[in-house]
Amino acid sequence: KRRRNDAVEIEDRLESLIIRVGEKSTSSLESNLEGLASVLEADINNYKTKILKILSDCAVKMPEKTTIYTTLVGLLNAKNYNFGGEFVDLMARKLKEALKACFWKTARYVLRFFADLVNCHVISTNSLLQLLHTFLDTARDDNSPQVRSDTYIYAVLSCLPWVGRELYEKKEQDLERLLKHIEIYVRKRGRKHVPGLRVWRSDRPHPQEEYLDCLWSQIGKLRSDMWQEKHIARPYVAFDSILCEALQHNIPPLTLPPHHQDNTYPFPWVVFRLFDYTDCPEGPVLPGAHSIERYLIEEHLHNIIKEYHLERKQCAACLLDFPLKLKIPLEYMIVEVVLAELFHLPGPRYIEICYGSLLIELCKLQPATMPQVLAQAVELLYDRIDTMNVCCFDRFVNWFGYHLSNFQFKWSWDDWLEASQLDSTHPRAKFVIEVLQRAMRLSYRQRIAEVVPEQFDCFVPNKPEPIYKFSADTSGDMPGYDTAQHLEQIIRAKATYSDVIEALGEMPNPLRENDESDPPYNPLQIQVFVQTLLHLGSKSFSHGFAGISKFLKVFEAIVGSSEEAQILVLKEMHDVWHHHQQMMVILTEKFLRTQIVRCASVATWVFSKEMMPEFTKNYIWEIIHATIRKMNKHVAKLQREVNDARERRTGNDSDESSSDEEEQRPRPSEEEIERMEEKLETAQADQKNLFLIIFQRFIMILSEHLVRCDTDGRDFNTHWYRWTVGRLNQIFMMHNTQVERYSQTLSTLLFTQDLDPHILDAFNQFIALRS
Amino acid sequence: SRVEQERRLRNTATLYVGNLSFFTTEEQLYELFGRAGDVKRIVMGLDKFKKTPCGFCFVEYYTREDSEMCMRYVNGTRLDDRIIRTDWDAGFIEGRQYGRG
Repeated sequence: KRRRNDAVEIEDRLESLIIRVGEKSTSSLESNLEGLASVLEADINNYKTKILKILSDCAVKMPEKTTIYTTLVGLLNAKNYNFGGEFVDLMARKLKEALKACFWKTARYVLRFFADLVNCHVISTNSLLQLLHTFLDTARDDNSPQVRSDTYIYAVLSCLPWVGRELYEKKEQDLERLLKHIEIYVRKRGRKHVPGLRVWRSDRPHPQEEYLDCLWSQIGKLRSDMWQEKHIARPYVAFDSILCEALQHNIPPLTLPPHHQDNTYPFPWVVFRLFDYTDCPEGPVLPGAHSIERYLIEEHLHNIIKEYHLERKQCAACLLDFPLKLKIPLEYMIVEVVLAELFHLPGPRYIEICYGSLLIELCKLQPATMPQVLAQAVELLYDRIDTMNVCCFDRFVNWFGYHLSNFQFKWSWDDWLEASQLDSTHPRAKFVIEVLQRAMRLSYRQRIAEVVPEQFDCFVPNKPEPIYKFSADTSGDMPGYDTAQHLEQIIRAKATYSDVIEALGEMPNPLRENDESDPPYNPLQIQVFVQTLLHLGSKSFSHGFAGISKFLKVFEAIVGSSEEAQILVLKEMHDVWHHHQQMMVILTEKFLRTQIVRCASVATWVFSKEMMPEFTKNYIWEIIHATIRKMNKHVAKLQREVNDARERRTGNDSDESSSDEEEQRPRPSEEEIERMEEKLETAQADQKNLFLIIFQRFIMILSEHLVRCDTDGRDFNTHWYRWTVGRLNQIFMMHNTQVERYSQTLSTLLFTQDLDPHILDAFNQFIALRS
Repeated sequence: SRVEQERRLRNTATLYVGNLSFFTTEEQLYELFGRAGDVKRIVMGLDKFKKTPCGFCFVEYYTREDSEMCMRYVNGTRLDDRIIRTDWDAGFIEGRQYGRG
């Protein structure tokens, strides 16, 4: 037993040594590598499996240390040829598994590792070229989507910065042949997805390039520089005399797993470019958009964010401690990379506040430079906001309002005074309006009114106060006035729901035309009840919620399942609270949760004529997306329950791994499962219906606009039009996984070929994400 | 018991939030805490006698994951110019909203 403990101890020590090699140390990297190689060599016979495993894990999990580990493997291979061979085989298996499981990033890092192993004389040049050609063959596969071949070609391109020079020196002709193949592919590939993924519509001042096009240009530049790059540290150069003596291995031939319809591939993206070298005049020069250094540094910074995103302080510290910090304008590159993630389309990798709090940490940690660079970035974003994607506009507004709230709302507002002269739907004016709305939500109105210049008075939000239709100082002859007064009294005196029903029961129904007809609901009842209840609960969210919960049965009785009645509830809520956007968002959510209104009613309400003046305001879209999200969550929950029940029904009881915490749950019967499936189907039908309503309304209002502009001979391309198309795009982007399930229906029912191409574009861009 | 208490803290989706300004409102808290996830409810800490906010609150999320987001990204940032602190809470029980007077 003692010996086993010793073995574990040694294995742990080896693991720690391997993982930590390359970290800051008093001796040089070269001597550390040399020492580690000797230690490992001595232990290879006893701990081979373990060493192989650790090394292969490090190879894919720490891509920023690729060249350190390839050097180590090179040194080991020089000492022990068989070990080198086993490592190559293991990595080849890893690659195969990754490709099969659609772990594309892992696959890309294995390929890169192989490429760099060529530099360390572990792998023969020919066998790498063969593997690269195997990857390129996907370009000829016509029966698979473009995203598949894109993914493979991207992997090939992204390993060339490591091995390009070596191939150029040893196999120039083969390298040229490889590049020719890639060029043909890059030229002919489709680009329908690009417009939907751009942060800006415009290419001025900086072109917004698609990722593969951009990397292709960067590789082209590298090629014209004779494959010399200055970013990658290459410790193996120091060991050339040892390494060149070693014998090389061949990568075992690999057949790629064919495309399967369940495979998921990374979405394409557009490279976010905010700065160029003129934006950072002091200090080191910013690498150009097509220099390979820009690509390599950005990839590294993204990886740091990925590694540390759960720990924002550590993340900020690691970013600022970037190895090459003295050679590049680091703050600019960090800000560009963080904003690239925040604005990523269709959605950011992590929740938005992750980036917001990271930027706050960065400012705190580097107060001398970071806040200025970030302010410069905001200025540039504001300058370019006219053509900004609506999804990104929202994220920009939400982040900036939040950021300001952490810095006392200090901002050079005077620089934006021109916005007050603009039409309120102009993107710049809108940006200021919406930022102040957000800022107010995190603070209070008076404070916001005080921090901005008086020219912005027109942008300062209204006092977030309720407007009660039946208040004591309004006219008493308004229909419902007396009931409202009475209702107010009895609710204050702790009335029960039946008291309320009774009080409302006496009201005449304006919908009743004669004694025979029985209208489905009474609009006057709803008006009086909703107005009074919200008025009485206006002190805080909690007060409002308490009132709604207490009188839920009244809603059930007077609203019921009628869609018009539900829309009326929302309309009355809007009448009372239209100066308090956050209240409307929260109350709508409450109405949905308590099932007073259905999702479809919310959608219909938002597109109603009365709401058109509000249509381009952000809070409306906050409501719509929250409504869709709620529906999506509901469907996902039911789906999970069905899956879980099916598993419990068919699964065997021997699975004890999870049973110690969970209670033994009984096996569901076939009937129970059927009932659950029915529920799921109903929910999916509702979800589909919700999307159909939303898209249909979009098509209606956009078509109407286009036709009217055409007959009037006006330009259709107005601010309103661009906001509306942007919002349509946003639905596709934000909910693309859910919309995708119904894309067949959408293309046959709504987005048909005879539709105006301007509207059809949004649908096509969404489809192109996966094709 | 202590074990029970620790188990609760591991699974809770409720946070105790401290160092709030007495003037910070429920609305502001919804706006900030809603950025980490779906908020189920917020209970304001009140002065035992005056029944006015007294610098703390409980925020309950629908899921543990969302409350973890809050611990990661909201804890230690500012609201009403004060650095607010969040901590796991075993769950709100009626009566706990009253602080010391």
